[in-house]
Amino acid sequence: MPPSAAEALVRARGLALGYGGATVVEGLDLEVRAGEEWFVIGPNGSGKTTLLRAVLGLLAPRRGELWLHPDVANRAHVGYVPQRSDWNPALPTTVREFVSLGHVGTDTPRPERPERLRWALERVGLGGSERVDFRALSGGQRQRALVARALVRRPRLLILDEPTEELDVTSEASLLDTLEELVRSEGTALLFVTHELELAFRRASHVALFAAGRMTAGTREEVLGGDALERAFGARVRLGGHT
Amino acid sequence: MIASFLDSWSLFGTTYLVGLLAAAALAQVGVWVVARNQIFLGAAVAQASTLGVAVALSAAPLAGGAALAWLGSPVLPLVFAVLASVATAWIVGRPRSAQSESAEALNGWVFLASSSVPVLLLAHSPHGLEEIQRLMFSTLLTASPLDLALFAVLAAAGAALTAAASGALLLFSVDPESASAFGLNTARWRALAALWLGLAVGLAIRSAGTLFAFGCLVLPPLAAKGLCREVRRMAWVAPALGAAAALAGFFLGHRFDVPPAHATVALLAGGVALSWLRRR
Repeated sequence: MPPSAAEALVRARGLALGYGGATVVEGLDLEVRAGEEWFVIGPNGSGKTTLLRAVLGLLAPRRGELWLHPDVANRAHVGYVPQRSDWNPALPTTVREFVSLGHVGTDTPRPERPERLRWALERVGLGGSERVDFRALSGGQRQRALVARALVRRPRLLILDEPTEELDVTSEASLLDTLEELVRSEGTALLFVTHELELAFRRASHVALFAAGRMTAGTREEVLGGDALERAFGARVRLGGHT
Repeated sequence: MIASFLDSWSLFGTTYLVGLLAAAALAQVGVWVVARNQIFLGAAVAQASTLGVAVALSAAPLAGGAALAWLGSPVLPLVFAVLASVATAWIVGRPRSAQSESAEALNGWVFLASSSVPVLLLAHSPHGLEEIQRLMFSTLLTASPLDLALFAVLAAAGAALTAAASGALLLFSVDPESASAFGLNTARWRALAALWLGLAVGLAIRSAGTLFAFGCLVLPPLAAKGLCREVRRMAWVAPALGAAAALAGFFLGHRFDVPPAHATVALLAGGVALSWLRRR
């Protein structure tokens, strides 16, 4: 059952994150709710992936509060899509086997898994490709398979780490349409890391903008509409045909 | 010809069964070594086991008269072989930062150190040096009922683990980052993988030597890659190939009076070459 649109899944208050002795980013305040499309943007090394690692429970906060909904904290209903699939090309696998890896760490009963697999493949436009050799897929199709691998978990929160980095324009648009449809129909929340500002401008409902060790978070209009971008990047930024 | 081989089971049955079970148990864990693309980890771990045996053989006389009794016992070298291989699998299999030495460099270092140090340790001990040479040469003549029991348990445990957790094993092997993101405790899985690999290789070294252990670890999975469309199927086909090759190796050894370990590995190497040709 889709969660209530108002339900909070992630809440950060005064959060500071870092590695070893170094703080990468601090003063993080944001609240991610079901059905929201958060685009996490900023220059390389600004802390975007650090935030993802914290939400995935792989990095403990240095200061502040990070509250996770129980479904997110136990990660059984969290989907994760890395930048690319690093599958060893000499290792045989089918789309079915690859996507089924998304069941790892969930309590989905085995009899339900084939149906869940078919549903996920249909959602990403790979229906009927269960027996296809994964290595024969194009880059765009592999990225869709990665999304399907996340979807079999029926995620309440879907975390994507620069998933469109290596896609052509058509594949990128198609993947983003799939994600939007998922948000609409399932109430899934997205945390989408990218450094393509245009993408956030066109697709986000909310934006978390990282720069200079800080983060500005809010609705797309709040974050991209004022001078926050200029302050973050230290230069005038042109988005959507406007400066 | 076959009747003569069957007749030999009354004399060598335990050794044959140990060879079959060892080949299957090694191939079971070898599938995940191959999936991680860490072929030479197998060579390093096998050679490190030899170092463990050498340390046990050289340390026993130093410990005094009571310990001398252990020298003739298979238990102390077995324990040291397993400890050395588990430790090597754990250390070399650890995730490394971008600045660290590569896995290949570590594997090469372990292999070379473990090849040279045992000979130096036992250079003045005729019995010990002979034992090390036997391990490096690989023979399959000394299996005991204890070996049979150990490999039966190991193969059964490997089959149970494969049946219960092949998805987690595969994800941990090929994509540890996503495995962590999906909630797997990758540190525990790494420890389990090191223990499994170390036990299989450490136990096999005493019975069959480094060539047989390394060969049965990586060659059956490499051959199975050409026969299977999914890794999960490889996890069952590779042990069957390993056991079948060991049986054929014993047959060739009996029929032509050649070393069965070498015959097994040569057959497997031929099988891998055929599977590569089939894929072209």
